Amino acid sequence: METVAHTIRLRCGAMTHEADVQQGAETRPADLYAELFGKQASTLEVVSTGRLSQVGARPPIRTYLAQLWKRRHFLWAEARAKVTSGTRETLLGQAWLVINPMLNGLAYYLIFGLVLGAREGISNFLGYLIIGVFLFQFTTQCVTGGAKSIASGRNLIRAFTFPRASLPISVVLRGILNLAPTLGAMFVLILLLPEQEHWTAAAGLFPAVLVLQVLFTTGLALLLARAAAALPDLNQLIGVLMRFWLYGSAVFFSIERFENYPWIVGIMEANPMYMVLDAARDTLLYGVVPATSTWVGLGAWSVGMLVVGFLVFWRAEESYGRL
Amino acid sequence: MVVSDLAIADPFAQATVAVQDVSVRYRVPSTDAAERRRRANPLVKAARTVLGNDPKVTVRALSGISFVAKSGEQIGLVGQNGSGKSTLLRIIAGLENPAKGRVLAESTPVLIGVNAALVPDLSGEENIRLGCLAMGLTPAQAEAAVPEVKELAGLGKSIYLPMKTYSSGMGARLRFAIATASNPHILLIDEALATGDAAFKERSEARMQGLRKSAGTVFLVSHAAQTIEETCTRAIWLNHGRLVLDGPAEDVALRYRKWAWAIAKDKPDEAKQIIETAFSEREQTTVRVEEARSSRRYTSRHVRPSSASSRRSQGGQ
Repeated sequence: METVAHTIRLRCGAMTHEADVQQGAETRPADLYAELFGKQASTLEVVSTGRLSQVGARPPIRTYLAQLWKRRHFLWAEARAKVTSGTRETLLGQAWLVINPMLNGLAYYLIFGLVLGAREGISNFLGYLIIGVFLFQFTTQCVTGGAKSIASGRNLIRAFTFPRASLPISVVLRGILNLAPTLGAMFVLILLLPEQEHWTAAAGLFPAVLVLQVLFTTGLALLLARAAAALPDLNQLIGVLMRFWLYGSAVFFSIERFENYPWIVGIMEANPMYMVLDAARDTLLYGVVPATSTWVGLGAWSVGMLVVGFLVFWRAEESYGRL
Repeated sequence: MVVSDLAIADPFAQATVAVQDVSVRYRVPSTDAAERRRRANPLVKAARTVLGNDPKVTVRALSGISFVAKSGEQIGLVGQNGSGKSTLLRIIAGLENPAKGRVLAESTPVLIGVNAALVPDLSGEENIRLGCLAMGLTPAQAEAAVPEVKELAGLGKSIYLPMKTYSSGMGARLRFAIATASNPHILLIDEALATGDAAFKERSEARMQGLRKSAGTVFLVSHAAQTIEETCTRAIWLNHGRLVLDGPAEDVALRYRKWAWAIAKDKPDEAKQIIETAFSEREQTTVRVEEARSSRRYTSRHVRPSSASSRRSQGGQ
């Protein structure tokens, strides 16, 4: 470091005479003269990094993960608090967690199933639709909530020091808590509805699909949380993009409709949410173990998105407290 | 940190917070018409009008602040509105990062601000638990801290009501009570106590005394120089983001009061003289940070140059 300072001074000396005089007049007395001969009284305080450490500095990734793990109780408490507070002022309270996705499903059923005739060629269309709508809603909630998490958690950010990744992760936890009653309703509906499904051991693989979906969604929430913190305009876009994604994930129609357009099929099959829905329907409705390619593709998307999202979020850790 | 009963002016008091040459700048939109006219490019102007954006200006919130706080000190920050007091607290708390310089602290500082609303939909009681967990307490510790926090806040039955129904004074009391629950070594208080009533003031001052006794450091922002004089051991006067004076609370607060009085009575010459005298008498503090590598006692002989002699060394730490 000292050598750097020397070279800079040397370079100044090599400049024209005028520049040298200016340099001398302005910087040198302020730095050296005043410090050495002390026009003003001055004190030198020496502190050591052995005892003091820098505040607000981004910790290395291991420490960061350890800090996050230490805050797990906070994450859980925050998620639980938000789930109940979201519906606290309504008359039906937490029943909305079930009613809302059911009404959503009904709307899609009426419009796409009956009016537009999307159900042709799909066996057990109701089950197909319910799984699609309910699981996709979880992703929508987490992604839009995750993108807004830094802005809406500003009060907490300004009040307490904690790993900021807690905020988007807490949104996903909230989504999971929301999903629990929704899943219950989903199973009841699938069992009650008249159309027949094939229950086999493959249904036992459904939790694995769900775990992969949660990992993927967490990564995406972290990624978008940083992006939307830097550029709030993104929040306006996400609603529209999510709608495109919904239509591109075969929530209420079959992919076979696009058999004549192989490129559309190609895009849809590479889409992680399509993989999630396809695998979930295979396990729950049709009693089939999802194809190996689906597992590999979905696994790669989930782990990849989680790692990328986490790293991207962590790199900007110091910036989230800005006004 | 084993020493529990430190005298106020202990020469062997340990440094708890070191602020090294900190500067903060903000880029913020301004509706100042002069600023709008300054940028002559008609395209940029037209774009701004269409998008409804205001031109951005740079605000220097803090420039070149250096000092070291010791254990057992209670430091008051005085200055006008907008002089950078709250910004300095946020920087010390690590909630924001300075454009230049750095802040070192012995443990995580806890800031009680006027803005922290916690979760408005939750009741005060639930916010206590959440706040305790957010500060890193375990659920058992948080549960144990709840009665004490409730008592310190002294909100009665209101503690069970949603926090959004609280008055600003009630909110401030609750935040103060929550923030002290984790027994922070370094406590930063931003006008939090100004809104409390007499009974709460008494209790909160006793609590702060307790924190200071356990060798902690308390920073207190207040416009009321009298509060600083009465409760603090040391005071720092900020004006337009610059450090004017750093010294014993009585002296600094008295000069600040004289200066504020001169401003209020519209005597700019007198005010200017007071502030210039203060500037000339100020002790310039230079903070040097020694990088300790492995053991706590070990300090390298090849110390890095201090901040004042080569600012460029900042980046390479």
